[in-house]
Amino acid sequence: METMSTVKSLDSNSAILSVCGIYKSFGQNQVLKGIDLDVGPGEILALIGGNGAGKSTLMKIIMRIYQQDSGEIYIGGKKLTGSRPIEALNQGVYLVPQEPMLFPNMTVEENILIGFNENPKELRKRLLNLLKQLSWELDLNRLAITLSIAEQQLVEILRGLLRNAKLLILDEPTSALTFDEVESLFTIINDLKSKNICIIYITHRLSEVFEIATHVAIMRDGIITLRGQVKDFTREMLVQGLLPPDTRKKELEFKSAAPDYENLKPVFSLKDYSGYGFSNITFDVYPGEILGLAGVVGAGRTELATTIFGRDRVLGGKAYLDGEDITGLPTSEIIKKGINYVPEDRLRHGIFRIGNVAANMTSGCLSRLGKFLMDFKSEKRITAQYIKDFYIKVTDQEQLISSLSGGNQQKVVVASKLATKPKLIILDEPTRGIDAAARGEIYAIINRLKEEGVAVLLISSDMEEIIELSDRAITMFQGRINHIFQKEDINQNNLMSAAFDVYQDEKKGE
Amino acid sequence: MRFIKMMAKRREISSIIFLFVLYAIAGLVNSSFLKSENIMLTLNGATVYTICAIGMAFVIFTGEIDASIGGILGLSAAVSASMIRDGYPWTTAILTAVCIGLIIGSVNGFGVAVLKIPSIIMTIGINSIVRGLSYVYTGGAWVENVPSEFKQISQKGIAGLSWMYIATIVVMIAIQIFLTKTRQGRYFHAVGDNADGAVNIGLPVTATKFVSYLISAVCASLASVVFVSRIGFVTPTSGNGYEMIAIAACVIGGISLSGGVGNVIGATFGALIMSSISRILVFLGFSSNYDNTITGILLITIVVADAMVNKRKLESARRERLKARTSIVTENLAKGGEML
Repeated sequence: METMSTVKSLDSNSAILSVCGIYKSFGQNQVLKGIDLDVGPGEILALIGGNGAGKSTLMKIIMRIYQQDSGEIYIGGKKLTGSRPIEALNQGVYLVPQEPMLFPNMTVEENILIGFNENPKELRKRLLNLLKQLSWELDLNRLAITLSIAEQQLVEILRGLLRNAKLLILDEPTSALTFDEVESLFTIINDLKSKNICIIYITHRLSEVFEIATHVAIMRDGIITLRGQVKDFTREMLVQGLLPPDTRKKELEFKSAAPDYENLKPVFSLKDYSGYGFSNITFDVYPGEILGLAGVVGAGRTELATTIFGRDRVLGGKAYLDGEDITGLPTSEIIKKGINYVPEDRLRHGIFRIGNVAANMTSGCLSRLGKFLMDFKSEKRITAQYIKDFYIKVTDQEQLISSLSGGNQQKVVVASKLATKPKLIILDEPTRGIDAAARGEIYAIINRLKEEGVAVLLISSDMEEIIELSDRAITMFQGRINHIFQKEDINQNNLMSAAFDVYQDEKKGE
Repeated sequence: MRFIKMMAKRREISSIIFLFVLYAIAGLVNSSFLKSENIMLTLNGATVYTICAIGMAFVIFTGEIDASIGGILGLSAAVSASMIRDGYPWTTAILTAVCIGLIIGSVNGFGVAVLKIPSIIMTIGINSIVRGLSYVYTGGAWVENVPSEFKQISQKGIAGLSWMYIATIVVMIAIQIFLTKTRQGRYFHAVGDNADGAVNIGLPVTATKFVSYLISAVCASLASVVFVSRIGFVTPTSGNGYEMIAIAACVIGGISLSGGVGNVIGATFGALIMSSISRILVFLGFSSNYDNTITGILLITIVVADAMVNKRKLESARRERLKARTSIVTENLAKGGEML
């Protein structure tokens, strides 16, 4: 038995998972270039890396969803062969995917128990014991469709534990969770650690590395660039490990002039605007201004944005663009008037997945590309311009968008929205799930918009992002705006306390 | 409210209620419809549809569709009827029909499950190929003169209810137990509910879809034997449109076309409704020419209603989640609001 504090040495004899020299290509694209990785019992390995670094591919190879081109994987010293997930499951590996993959029309119990070969009665007894041991409260008779994302993740973890998993892979488990849910997940992970289960924890949040992991590994461009115990690293060292060697630090320094509020008229205003999920919203956005919109998940920010964009019903109040009443117009009209929206969920609402880069880029401005027949020369020109301006990494314009990394996909989405020449652009979580380097580039793009006089409404859960970019910031809490901050008052403390509605304004008490 | 909730959970119940309402209306207009003799005739007349619908249910559970069963039924009927007419042993004829089903079903299954061809395209294509083969096999002629001993099988029964229908119901109940109580039985729903999720926990998704097509095709072939016994002759167009009827029966019986939802009890009642409608039309004094139109209207109404209910369900689940989130915030505030 080993205690929680001792950390096993990394020799592969004691390792639960041992990955040796894995290579994998998809077509021309080499995703993994020789991965070596050992994970021992009771170890929580935080695996971090940018989008397109190959983390998910590696995990899917360990799960046997993909097959490696060369290299070997050992689980508990046994070589993993075969080409079906069942082989990995039988060896005690379980992957909790980023988006839980439950059967929505089955009950929690059916969801957990399906796929086992043992006697259903004994299995059920084992499940009940496990639940008692973990002291989780979960109604086994609820349909999976009614569960929150956190509860769904619990079900996924139970599936893994019931399989006596020795290795649990958690793929960005906190990306869809609220603060409380994250806390309870961490309690569970610590509990599992003490039971000597080894965990690979994929995340984009560096703070979580220090909070939960014992070891850390950084992947970049298909190789592992850094690997060791968490206590040997600082946050800065991790950031450096994530950045490509030649990255300059300059992109984090944006000093642009605040808009001239005295002499400008707001380009966009909301007056007592109400809809599903928010109410009585009033604010102005000025040309050349970045207005940050902060708040916790579920504060109603996305609902506000999609309603402005004409996707949901307005329940009250008015929206004005350049003095013109645009309340309740359909989306196509809103775009024509000069508002565009970069959605939060890139895969589902942002890109046309089977289209190429050029088609995606011009998807918003087709009406300008010829009356009847498409003007492909213009399409090429527009696409080439944005690829150049935004440093989008593509082989050519015909490359499929789904084959780009997340950061580059996002740049294409932003570009396609800008191609409609909006006066106001709403960016909803523009850098979610995007690596540090690409994030800097997106920030540069946002700042350029500002200089060009476009009004930007920036919705973000990343407080640093709001602080970095905003000229003014508003915070929403339970569907209402509770504070507006001027540039000098925008800081982590103010935003966070306002987002949880505990902000106290010292100046107020005069 | 509890009633509605239960209806949503046990979706086949609404089809049973619908059936009773339908019979009540027919009985009010023409009381002779409710005579036991007539009801038995209706039940016996539903045998072919019921077998087809049960097979179709397997495919729809997995989230796919089988538009080829009309063709399969036509070809199997033509082949088995001609063999029986030509004096082959009945079992040989029936086994041949089953083999035809197995072969065509495995082609469908290979195309959809292995090659991942969209099921509607694959099976419509196979349907016309198979339909064409029946024309080739029969030379465009009818298969007639099926010996009356064979025709008599479908007439035998107890209290007016044919053995064939009773056997179908017994098998249906066995299938229902298989689907709900056994490990492999649950796979069909799981695959349709979330195919990627099924892969992740190691369920044999490809094999399950493949088998569902085998079952659907073999059911169509068995239905063809009943068809030959009941009708006594086979035309080149026999079985035309049965795929639509089987799909409609499943949908009316509460099986969702998006997969993962429903059971074969519902499919059985759905098939009974489908076969009753034409009889009821006759009793109500309508021409049976309305059959197809009414079937179509029913199918579309139910699919649309189902889609709308689903959408509302998802939407209310979303709202509930939002509510849960804001209540978490409130709780934290109550605790003193020390966040981060």
